[in-house]
Amino acid sequence: MIEFINVTKKYDHGVCALDNVSLRIEKGEFAFLVGPSGSGKSTFLKLMIKEEEPSSGKILIDGKDITRIKKKDIPFLRRKIGFVFQDFRLLYDRTVSENIVFALRVIEASEKEIRTQLKTVLQMVGLSGKENYYPNQLSGGEQQRVALARALATKPPILIADEPTGNLDPKTAEEIFKTLLEINARGTTILVVTHAKDIVNELNKRVIALDHGKVIKDDARGVY
Amino acid sequence: MTTNSYLIKEGYNNLNKHGSKTISTMLIICATMLILGIFIIILQNVNQNVETLRLEQGLQAFIEDNATDEDVAYMEDEIKQIPGVSEIEYMDKDAAYEDAKNQFKDQEYFLEGLEDLDIFPASFIVKFTNIEEAEQIKAEVEKIEGIYNVKYNADTIDAVISISHVANIFLLGVGTVLLVVSIFIISNTIKLAVYSNKREIFIMRYIGATNSFIVKPFIVEGAIMGIVSALISFIIISIVYVYLYASLNSSYALGVFRFIPYSTIWYQILGAYIILGLFIGIFGSSISLKKYLKA
Repeated sequence: MIEFINVTKKYDHGVCALDNVSLRIEKGEFAFLVGPSGSGKSTFLKLMIKEEEPSSGKILIDGKDITRIKKKDIPFLRRKIGFVFQDFRLLYDRTVSENIVFALRVIEASEKEIRTQLKTVLQMVGLSGKENYYPNQLSGGEQQRVALARALATKPPILIADEPTGNLDPKTAEEIFKTLLEINARGTTILVVTHAKDIVNELNKRVIALDHGKVIKDDARGVY
Repeated sequence: MTTNSYLIKEGYNNLNKHGSKTISTMLIICATMLILGIFIIILQNVNQNVETLRLEQGLQAFIEDNATDEDVAYMEDEIKQIPGVSEIEYMDKDAAYEDAKNQFKDQEYFLEGLEDLDIFPASFIVKFTNIEEAEQIKAEVEKIEGIYNVKYNADTIDAVISISHVANIFLLGVGTVLLVVSIFIISNTIKLAVYSNKREIFIMRYIGATNSFIVKPFIVEGAIMGIVSALISFIIISIVYVYLYASLNSSYALGVFRFIPYSTIWYQILGAYIILGLFIGIFGSSISLKKYLKA
């Protein structure tokens, strides 16, 4: 599903963010990407959505080498990958349902699809009944659920979460991870960048550790 | 709702969201358009008045005294064949005397006793389709056998040509400057609009929006600003012109200059405004969006 083959990313200012990284994440897998700040985690994610280009190596998403796709096809690559941010990135002048519908409009979904998907994802993240609330009327955890619902609305086979619980208290963070596991159980491949050590250790999932741009650990059932 | 109608609605919502910026931009576009409209009107009026003057100009080719009727017919044919000649009128000796009498209406005593002397030569009055070819036509007419002199009012013709040239160049210059200014202004407004929507644009790009999806609402926003400004400017300029036409045209304040009726130019102004409004709006938005279109 996601495959990095000898990927190196050197920035113009000389920093080597990723150094000959090779790894493979299978379809339906749940993996954590951990490591200290500056270890190359963000670059890894940016390369996956072609926000950055690798200096060398190949990146396969769903079997397709994305380093070779044309600029005009980038939006279609991104539709395969749902993205959740630490700071939620919601539109605060729009309601919960408008935030979710926004994503469906972007992929030019039909009215029927919009209606059914909205209902499905609201249920999936446990926000049914809150569709007309504005983000500011919700708790941090609920806001992250809205972001999750938005990312899932377009039915991406892959979900990337960049520090999804970084701004949340431990109890709420646990709930978010619970939801992520449920989403994973429905077949979505999930890659989570996190510093939430306790949760990583508790969930007993695959852990890929990066440091100075290199994979220093990759355990199928690992700990932080 | 189809995607396109959604994007149009988004563009319209953007206008409301950027309320005061929208209004100030439209005011500036209106001001630019009004100035431009004034120049279009001046130019059209100058051109129309120049055209009237042009049509009045022509040359007079005098025919040798001994020319027979056949000679005259031959000469008339020859002149007709010269490119650029629109009209030719033969003035025989009697008509020439009548013409002189008309010119000396109040001093007819000048002509007393001349009637029988046969001193007024027959001639052709030749009008042109294009005044700028006058010199060339004159040279051609002079070559025709039986024509001994060709007269035309070179000074008036030169003045007419230069007035219309200057007016045209001036309008083109002013028009270009105003166009650039308008595009600059609208592109700045859209830039601010894009800036205030940068969160949306960021999210859109991550979700997988195509460039055209991101750009369309801003293009719609620019186009609406352009069209609405065009219509407001058109209404203002129409009212002013009709008022000026009614109050000035009947007076002698303008000398020989006459305003042309608004019915002959309103559609040119409206057309120019709408095309310009759309162009300013769409082009202005496009240039400010360029940097957001990177993948």
